[in-house]
This record gives sequence, C-alpha cells and structure tokens, in this order.
Amino acid sequence: MSTHDQEATRSGYPGPGRPTIEQGSGGRARRLPFSLLFGLAIVTLFVLAALFGPMLDGQDPFSQDLLNRNQGPSPAHWAGTDNFGRDVLSRLLYGARLTLIVGAGGVICALIVGAGLSLTALAIGPWLAAAVFGFIDFIRALPGVLLALILIVALGAGLSSVVIALGIAFSPFFAYIARAAWRREMAADYVTAARTLGASRLRILYRHAMPNIGGALITLAAVILPRCIVTESVLSFLGLGVSPDTPTWGRMIADAVPLVERAPHAVLVPVFCLSLLTLALALLGNHVRAAVDPLRAGDPSGRQRW
Amino acid sequence: MVTLLATVLIHIARAALLVFGVTVLVFILVRAIPGDAVDVLAIEGGLTDSQAEAMRAGLGLTASWLDQFTAWCLSALRGELGESLRFHVPVADLLLQAIPVTLALGAASLATGFVLAVAIALIATLRPRSIVASLVDILNIWSIAIPTFCAGLVAILVFSLWLGWLPVLGNFLVPVIILGLDAAGQIVKPLHEEMKELGTAVYIRTARAKGLHPLKIVIGHILPAAAPVLLAMTGLVAASFIGGALTMEVLFGLPGVGSLAFNAVNGRDYPLIQAVVLFLAVAVILINALTDLAQRLVDPRPER
Repeated sequence: MSTHDQEATRSGYPGPGRPTIEQGSGGRARRLPFSLLFGLAIVTLFVLAALFGPMLDGQDPFSQDLLNRNQGPSPAHWAGTDNFGRDVLSRLLYGARLTLIVGAGGVICALIVGAGLSLTALAIGPWLAAAVFGFIDFIRALPGVLLALILIVALGAGLSSVVIALGIAFSPFFAYIARAAWRREMAADYVTAARTLGASRLRILYRHAMPNIGGALITLAAVILPRCIVTESVLSFLGLGVSPDTPTWGRMIADAVPLVERAPHAVLVPVFCLSLLTLALALLGNHVRAAVDPLRAGDPSGRQRW
Repeated sequence: MVTLLATVLIHIARAALLVFGVTVLVFILVRAIPGDAVDVLAIEGGLTDSQAEAMRAGLGLTASWLDQFTAWCLSALRGELGESLRFHVPVADLLLQAIPVTLALGAASLATGFVLAVAIALIATLRPRSIVASLVDILNIWSIAIPTFCAGLVAILVFSLWLGWLPVLGNFLVPVIILGLDAAGQIVKPLHEEMKELGTAVYIRTARAKGLHPLKIVIGHILPAAAPVLLAMTGLVAASFIGGALTMEVLFGLPGVGSLAFNAVNGRDYPLIQAVVLFLAVAVILINALTDLAQRLVDPRPER
C-alpha cells in the first residue's frame, strides 16, 4: 500500500520545517516565490483565454479556408492555419476551454469516486471498507492510460465518458490519501470526544473530520489536475478524445502530426501551450501542497510520506 | 525467518487475487464495449448479416459471458490465450513478439533514469550550491510539466525532420532518452530530499567529525540509508512506464505491447485485449510486489 501512496508525492515538495543539510540558504519564504507568481499568471491567462478568448478572437474555429491550408503565422492568422485552413489560434482558445473543463471535471470525478466512496465506506464499517479498497486495488493494477482507453471505448467517445474515465483512473490516489487521513484523524482526541457524545461514525466523518481531511484532498487535487490534463491530451492524441471534430489540444496535435513537415507550427503551438499549462499547474500544485498540507505540517518528524 | 516467509506468501497470495480480479474486471469492461470484432471486420470487409452471425458463432461470441469467461480462464491456465479474432494467429505469438520490444524500451529507460537520478542526487548532496544541485528541481519540474508524448513529438520534429539525424519510425534512442529523463525527474527529487534529511543525522555528524571524506560519507553512509526511498520511487516509475511506454510506442512506431494494446482495443479484438491487459496487470502487480518486498528486505524495521 505504501508504495502506491507515494506516487501522489511525485514532486516531493520539502514541507515546512524540514531540516536541510545547509541551513543558510533560507530567505525564500519571505517574499513570494517566482514559481508561485509565474504559475498564477499563466493559469490566470489560460483561464481568461478559455473564458473570453473565443469571443475576442472573432474567428470561427471550425470555418475552413482550403486555399490557405497549412499557412505559417501571419497577420490574418496569428498562429497560422491547419490542414483544413482553420485558424490555429481560435482552435487553441476554444480547445483551452475543453481542456480545462475535462481536466477539472476528471479531478472532481476522481475526488467524488475515490475519496467519497472510500471515506463513506470507512465510516460505515471495516468490511465495506475492505471490499471498496479491494476493488480500488484492482483498478490500481491497471496502467491509467490503458484503463482510461478501455473505459472510453466501452462508454463511447464523448465529453462525459472522458471525464468519467479520467475520474475512475485517478480515483485510487484520492482513496489512498483519504484512508491515510481518516486513520490519522480517527486517532485524534476530538473524535473520541465526539464518539463519547454518541455521534455516529458518518456524522463524525462529515461534521468533524472532514475539515481536516479536506486539506489533504485539495492538495492532491491540485497535484492531480495537470496529470489529468496530460492524460486527456494523450487520449485525444490516441484518437479517443472528446470527439473527432472538437479541438482539444491533444486532438489538434494528433491531427497535425501527419503533416508536421509542412506545418510544424500546427504541432508546436498546442504542444507549447499544453506544456506551459501543465508546468504552471504543477508549480501551483506544489505551493498549494506546501500551504495547506496538514499531513506534513502536523507531523513533527516531517518524514511521513502518505 | 518464518515471518519473512509468511510475508512473501501473503504477497504472492495477494498478487494472485489481484490478477484474478483484474481479469474479471477487464473481461466485463471489454464485453461492455459496443460492437465486436465481427462488426469491425464487417465494416472493413463488407460482410452480410448472415455471414457476420455465422462468424460470431464460429468465434464463440454468441455464448453467454459466464461461459466465455470460464472457457477463457480454463485455457489461460493451460497457457493458451486464444487466437486473435482479426489476425488469426495465436495471441501468445503476438504477445511474445511484442514483449521484448517493450521490455528493452522499459529497461533501457529505467536504467538511464536510475543512473542519472542517483548521480545527480549524489553530486547535489555533495555540492548543494553547484549547478548540478539546481538540476534536481529542473529535472523534476520537467518530468511533471512536459508530457512525454509532447517531448517525443518535438524530438521527432527537430532531430528527424529538421536536422535529418534519425529516422522517425523504429527509432529506439529518442524514446529511451525521453522516458529516462522523465524517470530521473521523478526519482531524483524524493531521493535528494531524503539524502538532505539524512545528512543532518547524528551518525553523519560523527562521520564528518572524525574526518571522513565527504564523498565517502555520501556514498558509504547516506546513499545506503536512502535506499528504501530510491527503491520505492524506482518501483513506482517502473510501474508507470507500463502505461507511459504505450504512447511512446505508438508515437515512434515501435511494435511493442503498447502498440498491440492500442490496436487491439481499436479493433475490438477480445482475446488480444484480454491477453495484453492480463500481461500488463501481472507486470504491474509483480513490480509492485517486488518493490514492497525489496523495501522490506532493505529496511527491516516494521512499518510505523
């Protein structure tokens, strides 16, 4: 179990108060770190672009201009055109919306499926919890991309099935973290007190323990979000995305690959945007983890790695 | 000794149970996919309805799911994984052709990542202010932010098309480097954190006080103590490679298990999907079990 749990801590952010070999290099905590500002700026930019970009841009992401196919960047088309003469920039802006919706949707779905299911099962009883975690172990044994691939083919291509597939594929992380946090909280005095007062286990979970477990789950959500977005683009790239003519970034990349020699910009622009977004989200995720992670902050030895 | 044996047995039993559960799960999921191999073949080859029905009966697709499942399990236990519905060759042959490619890709990438991570973590612990030390964070951010298939695409574009150095398809070196960098980025950060933390331990101070060379301290004392973290991360990365290799294989046209899985799912080739998924699940479970076991052996202290 312990090895699964560690995957979530892939970036291994040094939690507050962890001693280092050289104590003199401090001072970073005083001012806002560059990575935080950079991450915030990029994510805000992409969210704004996703919200308002398609309106401001004024180009139709679906209108084809077959005379101007695979054109490089120009004043009329800032990021050039693709194989059907469609404007890459407006497709990119429209795709940002889908990419963010699918990524966030996948994380929320994983949170509900993974954490909701496992916590409720843990609260109801150990037998149910054993059954639920047995099932989660099965899910965990399949590589995420492969599981999502099978699920999407089974559910049929479409926005909701991609979100559900991502949610199920990423749910084990939330389940394991939720279990670790649950075990920690159940040992706390306030839980004993609530139990003595006659509160049911479900009530203890949702009224008393949730605020303490929530922090760990939010942190994990921040860490999983970029991975969700990357997985979505991988699936789109493999041809199993939202739908063939909906321009998520993965789809744009997949469509442009066969013509990469003639129109490299149609590949490079979405690849660049995707990497920039995941980079910014990963940096933000690290800061969220450092800020609200009660598991690490509450552990004086600082050695706990859920 | 007895407890060690018991631990090993429990691991094996759990792994066997997991394999069975995954098989059931995949069987149900695959049957839930709308359309079957006959539908795909019918579209490609223009079969009439009666021909398609006869074909289904011949392939055993009309039997109930339970019958299909027991039949498949029984033959799988005998080592017969069935025949591909599309290629009409034994699934085992297809799998055996593909496994060496994936294994070579995975092993080479993992070895690259492992060596790179250990080397960088060592130097970064020795020289905390050097350029190498900042490589820890750069590699880590790289592995999180740059999806391997994006890196692969850019590499194809730059090295194959613009510079003309490498052939696009069948190339092995580029995916190994990309997956290796990804692995190194995931391993190096936790390893370096652990080594930094171990550097403050009392016995390290003792070693330093008695004048032991820093290199000897890092290699002889800190690195062995950080072995559990190194093992755990390497195991995790190895397990994740099984998924990550899929995209790289499809992208670079390597005929490995990933390409096989992709084609099998798209072609609704039930026996092939089941065999590939069974193989991948066994591989993941095996890697996880081995990692757990190796950790238990390296770090004999009980958990918590």
